Amino acid sequence: MDSKLPQTGEFEKAALPHLNELYRTAARLLGDGTQAEDVVQETYLQAWKSFARFEPGTNCRAWLFKILVNTIHHYRRGWFNLRRVKESEEILEHTAAGGAPVPERIAQQEILRALGRLPADYRAAVLLADVEEFSYKEIAGLLGVPIGTVMSRLSRGRKLLREQLSELAQSYGIGEGGA
Amino acid sequence: MNTACENVRGHLDAYLSRELPEETSREVQRHLESCPQCAAELETRVRIRAKLQAAVRATPVPVHLQAKIRRAVRGARPRPRTGLWAVAAAALVIVCVALVSRLRVQANPEEAILRKTTGRLAAVLNVGLRDHLHCAVFRKYSKQPEAARQMAADLGPGFADLVALVQAKLPGDFRIIQGHHCNAGGRQYTHLIIASGAGGGKIVSLILTRRQTGESLTGSIHQAGVDRFQVVGFASHDYLAYVISDLDAQQNLQLAANLAPALREYLAEHST
Repeated sequence: MDSKLPQTGEFEKAALPHLNELYRTAARLLGDGTQAEDVVQETYLQAWKSFARFEPGTNCRAWLFKILVNTIHHYRRGWFNLRRVKESEEILEHTAAGGAPVPERIAQQEILRALGRLPADYRAAVLLADVEEFSYKEIAGLLGVPIGTVMSRLSRGRKLLREQLSELAQSYGIGEGGA
Repeated sequence: MNTACENVRGHLDAYLSRELPEETSREVQRHLESCPQCAAELETRVRIRAKLQAAVRATPVPVHLQAKIRRAVRGARPRPRTGLWAVAAAALVIVCVALVSRLRVQANPEEAILRKTTGRLAAVLNVGLRDHLHCAVFRKYSKQPEAARQMAADLGPGFADLVALVQAKLPGDFRIIQGHHCNAGGRQYTHLIIASGAGGGKIVSLILTRRQTGESLTGSIHQAGVDRFQVVGFASHDYLAYVISDLDAQQNLQLAANLAPALREYLAEHST
């Protein structure tokens, strides 16, 4: 039986190169780095536990993202029995630690804030399509919705984002702004 | 902007994502070559997408995360590739284990509850829960408050001042009824048992124990519900601290959050 068990080395080689993409997606979807860490770790544990069922040669990245999306779904529904609660003292520490950001950073922070204001379903679709560059068909599979739903979420999400960014675009020279 | 422009703008993002059917894509291409306004709009969307990608991709990944995941993965066993016979055999094993654990539940209620803790922090949360079950739940003791002098004597000069510090942070209807050092599962604990007068006498434990190698509860307060108990745990300097009770989750958490800052200071002084 042991000879059929997948090896950790094999798993780490296939799965760990995607850590950054999974983490940044989780961080943007949950809006919290600490929660993102928990969710990404849980994603890797789930992936490892079912690695035997993963077909070598198929898309490991899409497989990991599918597990991530499910894990976040469970997380939001409170199915994790463990929650982290920030203490006021810790929040104060974070607030005190922020330095003056450079202009490029301000622009990035503004964009991330605009992204963060999108409804969660739109945000997930926009992140998966425009940042992680999954195809519409792949996104439908990842989110478990019909491709038409993906397209309408993308269309609305991108439009909202453009509207929010149009002022910003003028002040930072992205362009003329929305239509 | 004419109808052709409106039509093309509806397709621009899909065009950028190469999601349009070939024929539509060619039509958009032809329109863009002859319409400077739509070409400029495409340019804007390209830039916004590039900025969005750059902003999201600049999200810093915690440096310790990869090592943490490697450790977690190496500590967990994968599910093997199984045939049907193996599934049947596994089912049989589960039935046997369930039967045996039912017997063990009757034999040892503490262990039965501790087995219900799940999640990656189960082991370290169980460190505190074990003592609460052992000393405050399943042990027979008087629910009448001990004399302050008795508590001070039991806690010794090192921890005698803990009683006043904790009592000051408790809501009015909570009283410390016992304070002592105790032992559960071969480990030493400093333990205050607190009773709430209101609502039929809930029992709360404040438990401190020295942290052992490999035990950590980094960062914030951690909370878990196990059986009918609420466990809040946090690490401070050389110690792990727990507030465990049969209060509801919010009340227990509030109690712990009130105590945490003062306890952190106190434990800093007690750590070497």
